[in-house]
Amino acid sequence: MPGRMVLAIASGKGGTGKTLVATNVAALAAAQGYRVLLADCDVEAPNDHLFFDRTVESASLVEVPVAEVDASACTSCGRCRDACAYGAVRLLGGSAIVFEELCHGCGLCTDVCDEGAMHESLRRVGEVACGPVRDRSGLSLITGTLDVGQVKSPALIRAVRAAGSTFDADLVVLDSPPGVACSAVAAVRGADALLLVTEPTEFGLHDLELSVRLGHDLALTMAVLVNRDGSGGIDVARACEGWNVPVVGRLPFARRIAEVYAQGGIVVDGMPEVARALSSLPDVMRSLAARGRGRR
Amino acid sequence: MKTVAFASGKGGTGKTTMTALFAHLAARELSVAVADADVEASNLPLALHVENIACESFAGGSKYTIRPEECASCGLCVAACRFDAIERDGSGSYRVDGFACEGCGACAYACPYGAVAAEPSTAGEACSGDGAVGPVAFGQLGPGQDLSGKLVTEVRRLAVDAASRHTADVLLIDGPPGIGCPLIAAVSSVDILVAVTEPTVSGAHDLERLLAIAGRLKVPVRVVLNKSDLSDEGAERIRSLCISRGLPLLAEVPFEPALAALLAGLAEGGTSASFEQTRAGVAVAAAWRALAGELRREDRVRSDLRLTERALSHRRPT
Repeated sequence: MPGRMVLAIASGKGGTGKTLVATNVAALAAAQGYRVLLADCDVEAPNDHLFFDRTVESASLVEVPVAEVDASACTSCGRCRDACAYGAVRLLGGSAIVFEELCHGCGLCTDVCDEGAMHESLRRVGEVACGPVRDRSGLSLITGTLDVGQVKSPALIRAVRAAGSTFDADLVVLDSPPGVACSAVAAVRGADALLLVTEPTEFGLHDLELSVRLGHDLALTMAVLVNRDGSGGIDVARACEGWNVPVVGRLPFARRIAEVYAQGGIVVDGMPEVARALSSLPDVMRSLAARGRGRR
Repeated sequence: MKTVAFASGKGGTGKTTMTALFAHLAARELSVAVADADVEASNLPLALHVENIACESFAGGSKYTIRPEECASCGLCVAACRFDAIERDGSGSYRVDGFACEGCGACAYACPYGAVAAEPSTAGEACSGDGAVGPVAFGQLGPGQDLSGKLVTEVRRLAVDAASRHTADVLLIDGPPGIGCPLIAAVSSVDILVAVTEPTVSGAHDLERLLAIAGRLKVPVRVVLNKSDLSDEGAERIRSLCISRGLPLLAEVPFEPALAALLAGLAEGGTSASFEQTRAGVAVAAAWRALAGELRREDRVRSDLRLTERALSHRRPT
């Protein structure tokens, strides 16, 4: 595997098999002798660590700046409130107050305050844990976990990506959160290739189209993997042809896969037919990415 | 009116399927309104055969651009931006990366030349229409937008409006995956949160995180174990979790492709009598009966309380 590749795995719809594909592709590549980093960017529902025996070697808190008011210095002039694009600053009882959940930590209110009454402090949003998987040589896992009640998922996802960017690996697999909004963007932007996992149902196709639009907007090299092939009557390949996105793999609709996954098992360990379907994926995505770069 | 939300933490456990099936069952006896609060992947309208759809655009924050003719390439905007959203291209001119920009306007404030222009943007749309079971509200966020929580709130507002026009007895909300901003917007202050889970390690893990956020929001939780026969061990894990937390398990719904077929049939105007023809359908119908009973009981308790309070206040000397 020449050179480092960052492979993002995503889907608009939840539960199509992102985690199944990410964990198994990572395990396979490590077994083939590559240095692999699996980065769990689904910080609201991180599950990759449930499938591996990971030793946490480093863990760090992730904090974001939020605005804070010194009420004794505030003259209630309203400049900060007018400047805030998020409606996070209001005036109440002769002083500005900040609604922390709405604050993006942009620093503008601090900049516009002439009284020096605005400053910033750090708030914890979650943590990032990293370490090698004990029984799989070459595989390491980074997990971001959002604190319950926190809402700044993208900031935490960016911290997971930053922690992964300095990691020495041949293959970085990004397990993205579902959806197509800012969290998904934070997880996949800048990746060398984007693998979209879908299922052949009406719901799956509807959400796949949204993901393809997002991938186009982000100028990412994309491909599709059809999971639970045979479970629905939708012709995913035909739709993909229309979007000019290749279908690079299929996993069958098989109860055995679901059962192994349910127990937290790695499916490729005991099912060689699944391993065959997934083993060439990183190489295929790498050549697609190289061709995409050539075109740009 | 009672409000019931469906959520799961983990995606793909069957929230939309359950919301749609419960809506059909509820419509047998009650007036129903429905909201799809998964504005990043709005699938409920596909399952409920919605007609007469009216949409309004949902405003996003300001979108910033740098006018090259006024830009002096001083770089002050880059220093002001906390989101690394301003890049310098090969020719030395600056531009805003729309996907990284969070619309704060710090660049426009920092620019001494007035070279940063702001214009309003659209983040998505909020819609409502007539579904087979009653009014349906839903929304769709544009790709890469960051206002999903706000749009969820707007969809809930549309749903409540439609529900009051139809004097609905119950509003069912199909929630988004995760436990972040959109989920909090979708389930805050509902009467009952139905956690749809599956017997997998991921399902149990994410259910625990959902229970933690529900606890903070003080929303009572009931559980539906979907695909219950996929793993005996996994199902046992969910059952013991429910017992240890004192959570009622409304139903265990076996994994049957027939359930999707039932839903497809209902979407095309089939009758809800067909529930009784599959094991999964029978389980879902039983879950609805349990939930409906609870909603009615809660109503009775509230009306008893009201009467008691009134009686007490009458007795008080004035």
